[in-house]
Amino acid sequence: MTAPNSAERKTCWDARDHLWKCLDDNDDNAASCQRFQSEFEAKCPAQWVKYFTKRRDFLKYKCIASTNQDDDLPRHESLEVLPGDHGSQWVRL
Amino acid sequence: MVPGSPKDLKLRTRLLVTLLFGGGLLGVWWFVHSEKQQKLRQQRVEQLRQVALGQGTFSLMDHTGCRRTKRDFLGNWVLLYFGFTHCPDICPEELEKLSTVVVTLDRDASLPPVQPLFITVDPERDDEAALARYVKDFHPRLIGLTGTVEEVKHAGRDYRVYASAGPKDEDGDYIVDHTILIYLVSPDGLFLDYYNRMKSAEQIADSVRKHIKNYATL
Repeated sequence: MTAPNSAERKTCWDARDHLWKCLDDNDDNAASCQRFQSEFEAKCPAQWVKYFTKRRDFLKYKCIASTNQDDDLPRHESLEVLPGDHGSQWVRL
Repeated sequence: MVPGSPKDLKLRTRLLVTLLFGGGLLGVWWFVHSEKQQKLRQQRVEQLRQVALGQGTFSLMDHTGCRRTKRDFLGNWVLLYFGFTHCPDICPEELEKLSTVVVTLDRDASLPPVQPLFITVDPERDDEAALARYVKDFHPRLIGLTGTVEEVKHAGRDYRVYASAGPKDEDGDYIVDHTILIYLVSPDGLFLDYYNRMKSAEQIADSVRKHIKNYATL
């Protein structure tokens, strides 16, 4: 099979972008975006559908990982206010 | 205050002296800074020379059916990219960027024309016809290169390019995972610099311009 040419690439990318916009607007509810999903699968080679789907998952994961950085801090039970060495207020969580 | 009075002159003299002094300081700073930049550039070229990429030769077929070796490109500045025509998005984007770089550099009449090259990492599917179809969507000077599996592997090894074909699906289609870099090669065939996805066309054009200008003086 021949590789998609420039016009076919653009058609595929546009279909992908429409699907992703729909998923963004519908909180990744795939059921609401069935129409876009079918169009995406029709306009792109199967390998590209797989590739772009994986890429979206990766991008989403990256986004979640960076916004949840605070979750990495240790959490403790008590909440106390302690004076620090420089007289500043430190809160022990 | 009467214009031209002693107080006025004194103020003006002081202002002038301050400006000259400040200007002098700025000049010295700028000179030291550009010397440092030059030194850093030379160090980097030295380091890249030691890494010794692209030292070998390659013998490949271009998209018009002509055999091309590395020797054919000596004397030219070359921007080289490895990819494959079935690539979903990265290769077209990088080649688009590469084309923009060449167009930008072409506008500067003081620079020699840069030769863009595209070497496939997927010789099984990317024959001359496939490459011819592919390269016409990018810069008119872009040359596509392919060959036997061995020839292509040899060229890739020379630039330590990583390439790994993924599993084939029921259409026989597959993605080739590969190093995504644009390589800058000098007219004497030396690998001078590389640019990743993060670099914009403007940044690459600037860097190439600097290399070309430095090359003349080094």
